[in-house]
Amino acid sequence: MPSQPLTIGDFSVLPISMPPSPSYPKPTTHQLYVRRNTPKIPTPNDSRSLFITNVPIDSTEAHFRALFASLVGAGRFESITFEPENRKDAAHRLSSSSNPSSLLDAAVPVSSTRLLQAHSASNNNKKRKASELETNSDETLNSILLPQTWTRNLHPSGSSATVLLADSNSVTQVLKAISKLSTSKSKTIPPTWPASLPSVKPLGISLIKSHNRLRYPSPHKLQQSVDAFSAFFAAKEKEANEIAKRLRSLPDEDGFVTVTRGGGRNAPASKTEAEEAKKKMLEKAERKKEELAVANFYRFQLREKKKEEQGELLKRFDEDRKKLEAMREKRGKFVPES
Amino acid sequence: MDSAPAKRRKLDHSQDGAEKALQTASTVGVSRSRAFVLETEELLQEVRLDYGTALEGADDLLYRIKGSIEAIKSQEPLLITQAASKFEKKHKIKIPFPNPQPPQNSNYKLAFEKPAQFNVVGSYVSKTMVKTQKDFGVDMVVVIPQEILQEKDYLDLRYFYKRAYYLAAIAATIQKEFGSDGELSYEHLNGNPLLPILALQPTTKEEKPKGRLDYKIRIIPCAPEGFFPKSKLHLGASLLRKGRVGDSEDQAEPTAFYNSTLAAEGSFLAYLKLLRQTEKKCKGFKNACILGRTWLQQRGFGSDISKGGFGHVEWAVLLALLLQPGGSQGRAALSTSLSSTQLFRAMIQFLDLSDLSEKPLVFGSGKTAEDLEEYLGQGPILYDCARQVNIAFKMGPWSAALLHQHAKWTRALLDKSDVDQFAPTFIIKADLPFHTYDLFAHLNYSEILDKVLGDDTAESRGRTWQLSSRVYSVLKRALADKELGERARLINIKTPGSSKWALTETPKSQAESELEIGILFDPQNMARTVDKGPTAGATIEEREECENFRNFWGEKAELRRFERDTIRETLVWGSKTPFGLCEEIMRYILSRHLRIGNIRDDIDFYGNGLDALLSLKPADAAIYHEAKTAFSTFEHDIRSLEDLPLRPRQIAPICPELRHASVKPPALKQSSKSGPRPMDCIISFEASGKWPESVVAIQRTKIAFLLMIGNLLEKSKPGQLRTHVGMEDAEFETQNLAFLDVVYESGAAFRLRIHSDLEEALLERQVKDKTVEQYLRQRATAHLAGFRRLYTNLPLHNQTISTAVTRFPALSPTIRLVKHWFSCHKLSNHFTEEFVELVCLHVFFTPYPWDAPSSASTGFVRVLLFLARWDWRSEPLIVAEQDEISNKERQVIGTRLEAWRKIDPTMSKTVLVVATPGETSGIAWTGEKPGKVVATRMTVLARGACQLIREEGVKLDWRRLFVGNLKEYDVLIHLDVKAVKECLKTFEHEEDEDEEEERKKKKYKNLDERVGMEMLPVGEHPSDVLLGELERVFNGGGGDGVLVFFRGGAEEDGVIGGVWNPLVAKRKWRVVKRGGGNYMVGKKRKNEEVEEEEGEEMVEVNREAVLSEIARVGGGLIERVEVKN
Repeated sequence: MPSQPLTIGDFSVLPISMPPSPSYPKPTTHQLYVRRNTPKIPTPNDSRSLFITNVPIDSTEAHFRALFASLVGAGRFESITFEPENRKDAAHRLSSSSNPSSLLDAAVPVSSTRLLQAHSASNNNKKRKASELETNSDETLNSILLPQTWTRNLHPSGSSATVLLADSNSVTQVLKAISKLSTSKSKTIPPTWPASLPSVKPLGISLIKSHNRLRYPSPHKLQQSVDAFSAFFAAKEKEANEIAKRLRSLPDEDGFVTVTRGGGRNAPASKTEAEEAKKKMLEKAERKKEELAVANFYRFQLREKKKEEQGELLKRFDEDRKKLEAMREKRGKFVPES
Repeated sequence: MDSAPAKRRKLDHSQDGAEKALQTASTVGVSRSRAFVLETEELLQEVRLDYGTALEGADDLLYRIKGSIEAIKSQEPLLITQAASKFEKKHKIKIPFPNPQPPQNSNYKLAFEKPAQFNVVGSYVSKTMVKTQKDFGVDMVVVIPQEILQEKDYLDLRYFYKRAYYLAAIAATIQKEFGSDGELSYEHLNGNPLLPILALQPTTKEEKPKGRLDYKIRIIPCAPEGFFPKSKLHLGASLLRKGRVGDSEDQAEPTAFYNSTLAAEGSFLAYLKLLRQTEKKCKGFKNACILGRTWLQQRGFGSDISKGGFGHVEWAVLLALLLQPGGSQGRAALSTSLSSTQLFRAMIQFLDLSDLSEKPLVFGSGKTAEDLEEYLGQGPILYDCARQVNIAFKMGPWSAALLHQHAKWTRALLDKSDVDQFAPTFIIKADLPFHTYDLFAHLNYSEILDKVLGDDTAESRGRTWQLSSRVYSVLKRALADKELGERARLINIKTPGSSKWALTETPKSQAESELEIGILFDPQNMARTVDKGPTAGATIEEREECENFRNFWGEKAELRRFERDTIRETLVWGSKTPFGLCEEIMRYILSRHLRIGNIRDDIDFYGNGLDALLSLKPADAAIYHEAKTAFSTFEHDIRSLEDLPLRPRQIAPICPELRHASVKPPALKQSSKSGPRPMDCIISFEASGKWPESVVAIQRTKIAFLLMIGNLLEKSKPGQLRTHVGMEDAEFETQNLAFLDVVYESGAAFRLRIHSDLEEALLERQVKDKTVEQYLRQRATAHLAGFRRLYTNLPLHNQTISTAVTRFPALSPTIRLVKHWFSCHKLSNHFTEEFVELVCLHVFFTPYPWDAPSSASTGFVRVLLFLARWDWRSEPLIVAEQDEISNKERQVIGTRLEAWRKIDPTMSKTVLVVATPGETSGIAWTGEKPGKVVATRMTVLARGACQLIREEGVKLDWRRLFVGNLKEYDVLIHLDVKAVKECLKTFEHEEDEDEEEERKKKKYKNLDERVGMEMLPVGEHPSDVLLGELERVFNGGGGDGVLVFFRGGAEEDGVIGGVWNPLVAKRKWRVVKRGGGNYMVGKKRKNEEVEEEEGEEMVEVNREAVLSEIARVGGGLIERVEVKN
């Protein structure tokens, strides 16, 4: 094998040797791309974290813990976050690590959410929010999540992850170890991907078997989750309604009163509904007009109609001709099969 | 006065249709079928021959031949035997006497005189030859002078002997004259054994000029016009008297074919005149003849007796007669001012309205249809009174029926304005055996001819013909008997054609001695196992009828008592399938009446291979039916739950098992091999305001609802069923999250999902809401599409297919076969089952140029034909019956497709568009997959299959169509079938989380602790789960995955094929943000190219690592990963 390249872009290449498996008994080398984590929006942990891309699809935290242990010794590795779980659109994603409270937010109707936001923005009622968070302890929030159906998640091929290490010193050490790995003339064996780890659920048959089993969670657990959810949902809804009610009579900073739903007026509730109503009205008017003009009452109507028809005919004739020309270009369409 | 009403009656019959045709053609023709007219014009352009280059030198040749014939010296009359032997000795040329050879003792004399007239006739002069015809002949008629003929020559083949001698004399001269410039051979004119002719194929030493065709000149001797008294040649006359038992004229059989041949001999020039006149009068005539010629040719018709005896000559003559004045009130049936397409349409309508084998058709005055009806037994009649010739004399009753059927089909097509009329009419080859017939049989007659026919040699068309007509009449009575209910809609027999032979030989007996018999089923009637014959009553008529019946059916007929105490003659057949029944009946009746197949197997049957391949059984229909019944029970059980907060409005099935369309019939028995396999259904409730105003909350509410339904069901039917709420593999909270599996103890299992209309409204609102972030709107759009597919389109689709399946008995097996085909070629994971079903349905809705398929094999073959021909790049597939989708809507769909193609010329999305009346957008079943590459592969495979079918003909081994080629894949992932099957079994409480505990449990090794435990339903087939995960991981971004997977049906296919995607094999290095899904492991090469691009470094797919990943994920499920080079 030719000597491994040191870097690509600003990434260091970390080769990992993959163990052979019974169905594909060939040992292979997988490349990880590693660099310091420099996200666009800096976080306090950046200095002690590494950005890794092209993680193997069957990666788990345990895998990386073992990998880093073999690279720089035990105790440096703290945690790993895989993409895209920490992205913003994870809001509705069904997954263990998604934030339960964000799920609840998403559950509440959009209009109410907006109200809530407006409300908290205008009133700066932070105290209230804090208290809310207090009441929703993590445990109860977690109970609204549905039971997991997979024992292990596979990552999309070529996805990335962020590794949090013990300190910034460890980051330097890791990078150094990687570069050493590829430069040293002596045949250093690249770190090996652990074939099986005791804390990691196996793939293959048992992954699929367990999935088929986990799909049918016990009705009891399911009921609990659903009940918990509806309790929270009801509370949220109630809260939104209350705020809406209050806002109806409360002018904001600029002295405007927000118009909200449920004020007892018969106005269309949303923009789409208003549009629909308008469309209906227009349609009605149109129909009336048509009814009036019906039956070719005047001679000019007849004439115009005929003219229109002729025009239409001509147009279609032209279209056909065009189509035919297109067909002719393709050729062969006009020769009878033999 | 007496003749007037008769005349009117006749005219009513013959002209009625034509006049109607005329009217419709003139009123509708122009506006409705613009495209058709334009296309036919294009066709005419395309097939027209350039006479100057194509038939270069023909005129010179003709002159040369004429000159040499004119130079022949006359010859004194000699007795026939003397003349013949003298001639043969002198020229070493055989005289092509027709059979039987002239008797030794005949005392009439043969002579030779210069021909009275030469003339070039046929399509060479009328310039109606087309490029696509099989062989190009220039016909030259040589009129035998009156001097050497006698009026009495019409008797006993005398004229034909003289004609043969005359021809041989010409042959001798021309052979001398041309030497090696041309190749001479004898042929039979139109396969008529009475009429040998001379064919001259010019051979050129120098290179053939480009564009010149291999034409030949055919020299046809004929009788002088009006020489034989036409009155003696009428259809009922018996002119072959020698060697007959009853020598008197009354008793002898009429020899219609012989008479007609003789009559036609004297009217070559008359018809030439007729055609020339019509050509001059009617501008569209010539082109109408070319169109007719193409139409006939695509259906296998030709003037040759073996091709049905109705070719372009007959077409032209018939059309000319229709344009001839003398119809009702002296007017012509068709106006000469009609255009060629209008004339063509009119002809088709005319042929559809008149079945020549049922009723004679008469032109001109002098004879009426009633007069001629008695001669129909001899063959179809199309009588031209002016020239006293039966134009259809070369046709058999079967070819007349076939012509009628084809005309009927084409007319049905031409009446439909919303489908492509052009290609089925002129382009598609419509005479392929498997596309046309449900059953095809080869009857090998080489050894049975004498046995069956005895030594009766009166038939001028030869013994093969005689046998065919016997076979036909027996089969017709057996299979198409009106009283029993017609089992067959069409019976066709094809006799082998005659071939040319050298001058020095006697005509070869046909090399292939097989009759091809094609049967087109009436699917309903053909499936009947018991035939109820006439009632056994006391009256004389009844008794006679029974006697007749028994005579025909022999020992198979038995008396049986039926309901209401009727006793009837009955036939009971043992087979179960339509094909089997037809074969059984044919074998029985042919052996009874013709002793065919008695001792040896003279008859082979084809067309059944497909059913056996998939072991399609007639009993399957019953299983599907049972599934439906089980579903009704299920529906009833749910509807009778009283404590539901909302009333169910509809419970609809949405799976192939419940619409007769799954490859394997549903499993309704509990098995120990697999958990129950639930059948999908949806339930919708009455409108309610109780649904929460949030999609997420609705999904959760649905779970609660399902739990409740499950509880209530278990309570209402204790011990009879179990319920399980299962989780969907959903990615987002806004998708459907759960389903309810209901497993009956009896074996049936159903999967229920809840439909909430508010969900749709909310999603719609989200899609339209411009204030929501873009990614949310996109997601809402995707979810809305999924929602509509599941809850709106699928139930409707189920209904459509179910209805169609009862309407077309062959639809269900066709769908199953086609699905199997897709599976064998590993296309199943790219095409939805619904798509395949719709394609099949389309072939049944618009089956042109045929009728809706009446058996699985024709259905399957035609679906392949459709797939091979479908140009999905520019044509949407619109699956609808006429009027279900208006023309305007069709246009809109077409325009939309065009617009899409303009936006997305590479077709990265929405490759196939399949619209139905319920779903006009056309992307419900084909929106996400297949991609362009896979769709192309489907077309290529279908084309290959069609070609194979065409090349192999009836002898095709069907299995060859279903063999997928594994060589085409880069990677083969062999699944461990045993392990996969093991995964079908899952038990509720078996938890491997605490492995230790489990180990403890297994204290008793001989005891499986799972005994007595109920299996959980199968959420999804393990093979599907694995493939689904692989797809998600490698192709998650939709489309440009590293590896494209191919697999057949989950049940059948144990090998997943993979092809490396060439588009993403290499690319520039960059960090892939979410959704890229590309698996890029840089194997960087120190390569100048790379450096050039401004330091951009290239990476390529680390294939080995990808495979290693797959192997790790698959674990024990994958037996091995095979890599091809």
